[in-house]
Amino acid sequence: MIMKKINRREFIKKSIITATTVVTGMSTGFSCTKKKKLPGAKGKRVIVIGFDGMDPGLCENLMAEGRLPNLMKLRKQGGYRILGTSNPPQSPVAWANFINGAGPGSHGIFDFIHRDPERQVAPFFAAAETVAGQGYLEFGDHKIQLDFWPFNHKPSKTILKRQGVPFWDYLDQAGIESTFYNLPSNYPPSPSKYGNHQCLAGMGTPDLLGTYGTFQHFAENGPMKTKSTGGGMESRIIFNEDTSEPLMLEGPNNTLLNEPKPTLIEFLVHRDKKAQAAVIEIENQTLVLKKGGWSKWVNLDYTLSAPAVMPDKQIKGTCRFYLQEVSPNFRLYVTPINTNPRDPAIQLTEPPEFSKKMSEKLGLFYTTGFQEDHKALSKEVFTEDEYIEQADYVLLERVNLLNYALENYDDGLLFFYFSSTDLQAHMLWWDSEAEHPTRSRTEAKKYFSHLKKIYSHMDKIVGDLLKSHGENSHIIVMSDHGFSNFKRQFNLNSWLRDNGYIGPSDTTSILSDADWTATRAYGLGMNGLYLNLRKRERYGIVDPGQEREKLLEELTAKLEAVRDIDGREVIRKVHRADKIYSGQALQYAPDLIVGYSRDFRASWETCLGGITDKVIYDNNSAWSADHCMDASEVPGVLFSNRPLAEPDPSLEDLAPSILKEFGLKIPATMTGKNIFNEDHS
Amino acid sequence: MELLVSLVTIINAGANALGSFFLSPIALLPGWISINIISAVLGVLLLLIFKYTSNQKTISRIRDDIKANMLAIKLFKGSISVAFKSQRKIFFASFKLLFHSIVPMLVMILPVSFILSQMGMWYQARPVQLNDDPIIVKMKLNDGLEVWPEVTLQTGQAIQNIIGPVRVLSKKEIYWKIKPIQNGYNSLIFKVGTESIKKQLATGDGFMRLSNKRPGQNIADIFLYPLEKPIPRDSIVHSIIIDYPSRDSRMYGTNWWLIYFFIASMMFALIFKPFLKVRI
Repeated sequence: MIMKKINRREFIKKSIITATTVVTGMSTGFSCTKKKKLPGAKGKRVIVIGFDGMDPGLCENLMAEGRLPNLMKLRKQGGYRILGTSNPPQSPVAWANFINGAGPGSHGIFDFIHRDPERQVAPFFAAAETVAGQGYLEFGDHKIQLDFWPFNHKPSKTILKRQGVPFWDYLDQAGIESTFYNLPSNYPPSPSKYGNHQCLAGMGTPDLLGTYGTFQHFAENGPMKTKSTGGGMESRIIFNEDTSEPLMLEGPNNTLLNEPKPTLIEFLVHRDKKAQAAVIEIENQTLVLKKGGWSKWVNLDYTLSAPAVMPDKQIKGTCRFYLQEVSPNFRLYVTPINTNPRDPAIQLTEPPEFSKKMSEKLGLFYTTGFQEDHKALSKEVFTEDEYIEQADYVLLERVNLLNYALENYDDGLLFFYFSSTDLQAHMLWWDSEAEHPTRSRTEAKKYFSHLKKIYSHMDKIVGDLLKSHGENSHIIVMSDHGFSNFKRQFNLNSWLRDNGYIGPSDTTSILSDADWTATRAYGLGMNGLYLNLRKRERYGIVDPGQEREKLLEELTAKLEAVRDIDGREVIRKVHRADKIYSGQALQYAPDLIVGYSRDFRASWETCLGGITDKVIYDNNSAWSADHCMDASEVPGVLFSNRPLAEPDPSLEDLAPSILKEFGLKIPATMTGKNIFNEDHS
Repeated sequence: MELLVSLVTIINAGANALGSFFLSPIALLPGWISINIISAVLGVLLLLIFKYTSNQKTISRIRDDIKANMLAIKLFKGSISVAFKSQRKIFFASFKLLFHSIVPMLVMILPVSFILSQMGMWYQARPVQLNDDPIIVKMKLNDGLEVWPEVTLQTGQAIQNIIGPVRVLSKKEIYWKIKPIQNGYNSLIFKVGTESIKKQLATGDGFMRLSNKRPGQNIADIFLYPLEKPIPRDSIVHSIIIDYPSRDSRMYGTNWWLIYFFIASMMFALIFKPFLKVRI
């Protein structure tokens, strides 16, 4: 090889060029070049704003009162329709209908909770499943996984259970860019094959503890030993003079141990009663909070100890502190430990670096699927006002994220999701003169009026969007379902037991003491009713032929005839799955879908198979409104700034309509239709 | 110790005067330009200091020896004894080079430290911006304190006191959370008992000369935070710290600037070495 000689001048010249390149590269953060846009995307813009749970009845009332001027404008400009929801009208089902442009038979999500018939009623989350890892080597107390030959251990992973083809895959293939922010039923985020799709996962995204959100609460009157209360952990704080004994903030389980244990971060609290304030010291960070004050997002670094021969593993989380009271009873709330979007331990986005990009601009933000901490209100850790304050902060973050989304949007499809209209409605909705489960009439009215303000806030967001993008974009505002009071709860399994379908007569739970030789049907999840079918269920006793048919008819007739003590209809309609569902993903479908009347819902116990003495009783939870009724009772809304042709659109119609907007054919797997006038553009 | 404190304080005053003049363009230039200019100028300057404070002739001879021995290794590949002998000579020659660097290092160490302290005031943290979250101010009291004094903070028109004073009795610390509402250099005036102590607060975009800490009588602190005079010895206040936000850049950001400066100044020194005929 001949080495080319370079003289000094040449060397200096090259050095300067190299240095300049390095310097320029560093100052621009080594910015990557954007993928080449394909012709299909040119200029076409469709923006979909998804307001989870926005109710048509409330919308119409507020429009009539002139409190939603921008939605009214949208209605006049293009159109407004009541949007048919999914059956059952549960968010994971509804949004999956939206995603596939087809019903639950296409995506296989029929409820929040499914059961495994082979393991006789073993429940699992319908939208995602964590599969345990396979194989490991033991090192003392630790185990390590080596994913290379000859070990080929498989780490645990979370799988998205939604089946079928999401409609953005067709856009992706056609070179049309799409970005989705917090779309439910999409965790882990589905991959993009051609690099034209990016998304931030929404509902279903866990916190670092692997739950849908577990707050931690420290109070002087808290339990001596940390107590899990379903959605939260409560502990006692003990002060020596004005400095607390060391407190522990629980993080993810150390799965590198043979017997996984939670990782902990120690922190200290110093309180000043005179100033009604406190100083919190955690991981070299100092927070100063006064009573009623929230901290900013705090970085947390959990250490998963590894065997001595290996470096420890770090998992980065983030949380906010809320000082509720300083004295006499010191109370400190800590948000669920969210995954840090700057260095996420789980995949939050597709592509994975998308979360870092957002975080560079926006800082830290909520990454769990359920961001409004309704559990803290249900467990009475929050008052209503505290819940509203926390939920309003979530909304503020959402608006910042929407602004980011719009700043970074050129063309293609942009979808943005708001949870405020759903999770605030669950806790604050009450459109009745009847007694509220936990509030006085005055309070119920007060908090319902806050929800109306949220609708007005959403309207303003739509107004800003119309101003900035209304001229050159097709804007669609939609919701997946509406809302209703949840005054009375119906325990389906108690009813089944009392009517002789579940045996023995003193059964307390289908998960623990049901006799499957004496049980012909059972309820699980919010709306599902399953037959104990022979050859399908492990201990099935109902023959699939005539016996099944007769039983389905009998159950339908009896359930539709159920009345509350005041004679009101409890169940609006019972739907047969074999009549309303079609598709390739019917494996976990229930046999009957119980559609409750407004004011009624499946009892809390029903969802996980619990049986109570009473069949119909008051809901006494702060979760006082719901939508898991009959689909006809809680439809959603649809607004568009382009004319709507279809008089009765439903959620499944949106995906095919959007594909049509971009000039693509409607795939045969979609059952929805185009709802827009074809000639508007 | 008192004498040393006074001495460093006097030197700091001089360094501050020079720094405010020579480093003032930092406020006007983008960070990546200013850090490169400073690295280039100082790289060349330090190279020249090295040239005139070291024995260039001896260094030159040692360098030639090293070259000769390396050539010997190359030429007599087959001879283990030559290779070992030459390697031993190279090894010792390197030590000699190190030895001959001691004098220039000793000459440079103090000025360079003062320069780095001055640079730190520009790059180590960024000023507070008006849209930032409120920032924390911490006052540390001296250990000998027996009676907790009455402490108040006077912020004036330009600063808003959000929370505080919040006292941590066990650590003898007092905290405030403040939010500036006007750009510029403003003063936080603390009334501690009968004393009145000031701490400067820098608010604005871009680059401003600022100090995270007003030090007490700790000599290392006085050296590292030269901008403000140390708090008098007889004060009950040990120090005052402002938790300025970090500057986010791998070239001129918090903590990174120092690493970048060392690498860049060495690179510039190496580039200019042949022109200035310096042997190192």
